[in-house]
Amino acid sequence: MRSDSAVDAPRETTGGPTRTSAQRRRGGTLKHVASGYPWILPAMIVVAGLIYFSIGYTGFVSTQKWNGFILTPSEWIGAGNFATLAGDPMFRRALANTAVFYVVTFTVQTAIGFVFAALMHSSVKLRGLYKVIVFVPTVLAPATMAPVFRTMFANNGEVNTFLSSIGLDGLTHTWLSDPGTALGVVMAATIWQWTGLTFILFYAAMSQIEPEMLEAARMDGAGNVRTLFLIVWPSCRGTTFALATLGLIGALKTFDWPYLISPSGLGGATQFLGTYIYQTMMQEKNFGYAATISVALLVLAVTCGVAMSVRNRREGKS
Amino acid sequence: MFEARTRSQRIVIQIVVTLMALPFLVPLVVMVRGSLAGRGFGNYVKVFETGVLGTYLLNSVIVSVSAILIVYACTMLAAFGFSKLRIAGKELWFWALLLALTMPEAVLLTPLFVTASTFDMYNQLIAVILPIAALQIPFATLLARNFFDGIPNELMEAARVDGAGIWQVFRRIILPLTKPIAAAIVVLTLISAWNAYLLPLLMLNSPDRQVLTLLPTFFISQYTNDQTGVLAAAVIAALPMVIAYLSLQKYFERGLAAGALK
Repeated sequence: MRSDSAVDAPRETTGGPTRTSAQRRRGGTLKHVASGYPWILPAMIVVAGLIYFSIGYTGFVSTQKWNGFILTPSEWIGAGNFATLAGDPMFRRALANTAVFYVVTFTVQTAIGFVFAALMHSSVKLRGLYKVIVFVPTVLAPATMAPVFRTMFANNGEVNTFLSSIGLDGLTHTWLSDPGTALGVVMAATIWQWTGLTFILFYAAMSQIEPEMLEAARMDGAGNVRTLFLIVWPSCRGTTFALATLGLIGALKTFDWPYLISPSGLGGATQFLGTYIYQTMMQEKNFGYAATISVALLVLAVTCGVAMSVRNRREGKS
Repeated sequence: MFEARTRSQRIVIQIVVTLMALPFLVPLVVMVRGSLAGRGFGNYVKVFETGVLGTYLLNSVIVSVSAILIVYACTMLAAFGFSKLRIAGKELWFWALLLALTMPEAVLLTPLFVTASTFDMYNQLIAVILPIAALQIPFATLLARNFFDGIPNELMEAARVDGAGIWQVFRRIILPLTKPIAAAIVVLTLISAWNAYLLPLLMLNSPDRQVLTLLPTFFISQYTNDQTGVLAAAVIAALPMVIAYLSLQKYFERGLAAGALK
């Protein structure tokens, strides 16, 4: 499942005795193998033409002061936008929200997904039904489900009605318009959507654990909870790390849920990097500064991606 | 994982599982119930009466099918090239592709918007299809290459000895073996294309050029505060994906799992 080729590749080129065998295994005898360039060309053109072009263009616009109208000339201001970014409280707010969002969603999803997977590996009836219920949200668009979450957390919505009906009137709340809870609704929606995937991955990882190991633990007198923490949890470490990477990059990319659940942004309470870029560009017409935030986002995403995958690989090897 | 020796333990586990699963069902129940509140099926009639439903659905299908075809073609060719053929500086090219993997779509906004306006592609579906495909290709190629690496070279060599050209080998021998990974790639691309919101929001402005994810927003713009109607629009927008998932459950679960674990 893991990207072994990407891991093996650099080692191959460093030579040594593994080189020839690895080449024989992968490339065949190199003499009569056709050139691969025409084969990778279409993919390279689409990716370079859109993604690399966009990175370059964003980099260029980030040094400009420009309102986005093609007829209005842009003005070169060098690192001016980056200086603004460094002292921008809204940018820091977006970063802080992203950090909180990541820690909370990752922790809750992992906890629910892990426990649910363990329970589903026990003697449970109607397993297929439970799986469908938990997994369906992953295939539904946030754009489709956001109106539902807005309805549920509205003042006269299901959440408040439920709280009143069990006598907890004190807990009813204006969830969507209170800056203190709007981010919570965004996180709840995200957790609702992605826990199914976490569950499926843990479920698959647990199928790989050898029953003998569990038996042995039980023979030594370990109960269910001890077995779960001492045997099952460590065995799923690879999955946990993969999910941590995925969640981090996902948190940086977050746009749909906050934009749709809290369109006004509540003065920054539900601001993320994606929503800030969109707002700067489409509402404030400050294309140069939007591009600057984009550059910062890109640097963060690539750094996190590389750092986490290096770490994953080290974990995988040890 | 949990050992349940007695009947009562089994019942406790069953109850805990049910309590954990229920919250995931709640939004769906709220959606369906709300969509039938007040006017009942009248809410759905009202959504149909906006007259855009057919267009949006068709546009969503066009966007998804086109993105899937582009991603499938580019990915299969590239994965074969990377895995089985001779390329100087192969890993360099591959890493160039992988670097695009973490690309947040928000970074594409400024360049795509300006480019599309310049070349008169604004409001054209292609302005959404190409970026969606481009964002999917790096990852799909990574998945496919790992799969292709597992196909023994002897299979190809035997065919080549028999005089088959490289295209024939790819078409007749390799492609039929790649169905599992192709299914994963199709599902991942379908989900990302069908559920895409930000790119259509930015690129498709005219009401007759929009896609299904924009239906609830469109409905709100037409009838402010018609809560039940919005929920009916949401049900209609969700339905195709729920049907697709229920009928192809295994492929969705495997596809998303493969996607998450690289």
